[in-house]
Amino acid sequence: MSRLPVLKGTLDLLVLRALSWTPMHGFEIVAWLERAANAALDIDDSALYQAVYRLEERGLLQAEWGVTENNRRARYYKLTTAGRAHLRAETRNWMQYADTVTSILTASKSGEPSTEAT
Amino acid sequence: MIRAGIRRAFRLALYRRDRWEREVEDEITLHLALRAEQLVSRGATPDEAYREAARRFGPLTESRARLLEAARHREQRMHRTEYVDDLRQDIAFAIRTLGRQKGWTAVTMLTLALGIGATTAVFSVVSSLLLHVLPYPHADRIVYIDQQPSEGNSTGIRVTITPSANVVRAWTQGSRSFEAFEGRTFGPRTLSTSGEPSRVMAAEIFPSFPVFAGQRPMHGRMFTERDIVNGGRVVVLSEGFWRQRFGAEPSVLGKVITLSDTSYMIVGVLPAAFQPVGGMHLPADVFLPLDVRDDKRGMSLMGRLRPGVTIDAATRELDSLYARTSGFSGGKIPFKTVITTPAQREQLRDSLVMLTAAVGLVLLVACANVAHLLLARSATRHRELAIRAALGAGRGRLLRQLLTESLILAVAGSACGIFIGWAGLHGLVAMRPTSYDEIRLAHLDSLTLWVAVALAALSGIAFGIIGAVASGRHSTHDTLKSGATSVSPSGAHHRGRAFLVVTEMALSAMLLVGATLLIRSVANLQRADLGFDPKGLYTVYLPTKADRAPTPAARAAFMAEFMSRLRQIPGVRSAAAAEVGPGSRSFSIGRLEIDGETPPPKSSASFVDVNVIDPGYFRTMGIALTQGATFSDTSAGARQVIVNAGFARKHWADGSALGHRVRIAQTDSEPWLTIVGVAHDAATSGSIRSESSAPVLYTASGVSESPSVIVRTSGGAQTLTPVAGIARTMGVKQAPDIESVEQFLSKSLSAPRFIMLVLSIFTALALTLTGIGLYGVMSYTVTQQTREIGIRVALGAPGSRIARGVLGRGTWLAVVGALVGLLGANWGTRLIENQLHGVARSDPVSFVSGAVVLVLVAMLACVVPTRRALAIDPMTAIRAD
Repeated sequence: MSRLPVLKGTLDLLVLRALSWTPMHGFEIVAWLERAANAALDIDDSALYQAVYRLEERGLLQAEWGVTENNRRARYYKLTTAGRAHLRAETRNWMQYADTVTSILTASKSGEPSTEAT
Repeated sequence: MIRAGIRRAFRLALYRRDRWEREVEDEITLHLALRAEQLVSRGATPDEAYREAARRFGPLTESRARLLEAARHREQRMHRTEYVDDLRQDIAFAIRTLGRQKGWTAVTMLTLALGIGATTAVFSVVSSLLLHVLPYPHADRIVYIDQQPSEGNSTGIRVTITPSANVVRAWTQGSRSFEAFEGRTFGPRTLSTSGEPSRVMAAEIFPSFPVFAGQRPMHGRMFTERDIVNGGRVVVLSEGFWRQRFGAEPSVLGKVITLSDTSYMIVGVLPAAFQPVGGMHLPADVFLPLDVRDDKRGMSLMGRLRPGVTIDAATRELDSLYARTSGFSGGKIPFKTVITTPAQREQLRDSLVMLTAAVGLVLLVACANVAHLLLARSATRHRELAIRAALGAGRGRLLRQLLTESLILAVAGSACGIFIGWAGLHGLVAMRPTSYDEIRLAHLDSLTLWVAVALAALSGIAFGIIGAVASGRHSTHDTLKSGATSVSPSGAHHRGRAFLVVTEMALSAMLLVGATLLIRSVANLQRADLGFDPKGLYTVYLPTKADRAPTPAARAAFMAEFMSRLRQIPGVRSAAAAEVGPGSRSFSIGRLEIDGETPPPKSSASFVDVNVIDPGYFRTMGIALTQGATFSDTSAGARQVIVNAGFARKHWADGSALGHRVRIAQTDSEPWLTIVGVAHDAATSGSIRSESSAPVLYTASGVSESPSVIVRTSGGAQTLTPVAGIARTMGVKQAPDIESVEQFLSKSLSAPRFIMLVLSIFTALALTLTGIGLYGVMSYTVTQQTREIGIRVALGAPGSRIARGVLGRGTWLAVVGALVGLLGANWGTRLIENQLHGVARSDPVSFVSGAVVLVLVAMLACVVPTRRALAIDPMTAIRAD
């Protein structure tokens, strides 16, 4: 299975989702995304850090220095209240968008959604 | 997780660039290490693992640069957000704190507002009259050009003469220092085109003047050099005159109007914004061409210097051009060039400089008072600040909080101050004296507003620092331990406040002395001995010579007839013709020679006061003759002259001038005049303030040509109502102007009275603020000493001793302040020296009364604190705390 490039703008959403249960440091986020995507997504590691910084700048994430299980100093990120709200809203938008695109792509010639897609 | 305190420590450090850069590096390193570990755990060799980790991260230099950029962006933005949040919090907190202490906030703001308001009002006048005088382009290079006799004049005032046309021509053609010259003359004309003849003010100007002033005709055109060559019978109307007389009718162009029997064609209208001088003269109604080719003309001259040319250089150039044209060699010229800037000509200049200094003192008093109030407040805030410090607020954060409070106070105070200044300026304009009419031009301009804003910012910062320093003196620990709601201030704190009160007292004392000097000066002016009796005295201005009769003989007949009819009016006690009446002076220019004394050098010229009068002048004016008698023969051949006592004293040690001969020489053919009488000195010239003993010559020949008649009446102004009728029946078109000498004198006093009033208002303001300051200090002292006073009362100290203690301290501060202030005044009164009349600037009465008033105010300010001290109940006082 070939790896899919991440669509523009969706990386932010994925990072927010990764952090929605617990604060993580950068590599934990990467590792979580790789696990969750079953290695199907092609994520440039440095692009992820850029996304994280961007989210922090917008106040959706908050960073704190902490210590890893192996006693290494790492920068932990957690969702802010604003980040959580943003995640909720964007997830809903993405779902609607994806549904709509899917239904169009699978529509029959008459424009009726094909039964096979639903 | 991580403690808030540690987080703050990190965040504070984060602001430093190298810190967050290192953090990004750390994050990258950790990421690569963890990725490599992950790969090793899946079976890769360490070398392969590191290569793969780096590959997945992307090209390292490029990625790192991108990440650093993103982090930099993030830090900036977050720093800003945090700053704004803190600021919002500070402001909200400051407003709440200030709102809790409404009384204190109101007094502080009002003090600041009064100081800034007074400064704004005065500075507006200074800015409009001294800094931005002429509304012309490149006004900073515009100067006035006059001439002055090279050697002395006996008039006691600085006299300048306007250059004549041939000199102006030489200058305009030869000068390289000036870009442009503009001449102008002012004079009334009689407009007799339709209906009742009326008087209009005409300005004769060069055709280029509107361009010089940055204006263009709003209708038609400006007259040109060609118009002048063609006879110059063209006129340009002012906008005001055009609207008022011609109903703003554009069709006036091409019409002909008659001004003093000459007809002119209207060719244009100039906008109201155009005036040929800086608003000091009556606005001109009509503009006529000024013909510089006519050698008989003199004119007021102004010019615009080329950039970089100094006034000195321009003066030298004009002097040499003048010497060459008039044929004087070797640098000896009878008239030297005097170039002045518009601000230098401002007659209010000295007064304005003085008022600026005075208002500066008021501002200082206001600032001292605000400093006071802040110190008093900081004394009660130690505990609050100590608690906040203990709860983790950093010193910087607390300082910022105090600064925010002060800035809010300063901004609010200045906003009120600008409003007070605006109102005050309107007040100043409303009560301006007639002789300082240009004050009406003063307005709040951007420069003044900037000054006010700068003052606000400066005071805000200064006050914040005062508050912070005062609050920072106590250690958190001690303050909290002491448990009191406020702590006793340290000795330094107390001395600081006493110092401020003494400073305020000293500044107020200076103002008090200055105001007292001016009040005494005005009082002196009001009861000054004029040497003549102004009561019921009027000056009647006769029609122009041409309006009276065509020839000297006919004019003599006209004058005789007019005088005899005038004397027949019921209520007229006497009348006398004169070249000038009270309030004006006329000069002869020449060399004053006394028979028997060495004559002055031939190349010199001076101004000599000469009045041409008829023999009844002294009786009409009420001027006594101390020697000799009035003219017995008024014919030119009689060669009689009368001098005033000042003249006699100046030239003859014993003052006996009778029989001596004098002359004013221009050529050398002038006849000698014999002194037949000596008149008492009289302050007839200009204002009351001029020296009445300045030398004057009176002659009688040719008085029938004089333009004015002085009339003494036993009734009021209505006695002279028939004068208009007399003039009309004698064929004069326009009714003569009549001026009351008494009113004129009162007007000439209005200027010094105005300055005195303004300074008195400032003094009262400073005194009030000082009183409030002292009151604050004394009340505070009494509060601090409640316990001590209670013990003393309990031990049997009588009330009088307690009262003496409080009053004594207040008075002591006042006395020290007054002494320092008197020293200051001794130096500062030089600013008003030239505005004083009949009182020396070191006048002991003013100094002593200034000090006494100050001490009285101080004692008044101590009354309430004293009563509070007396009301202290020993039982409550000792038990308290």
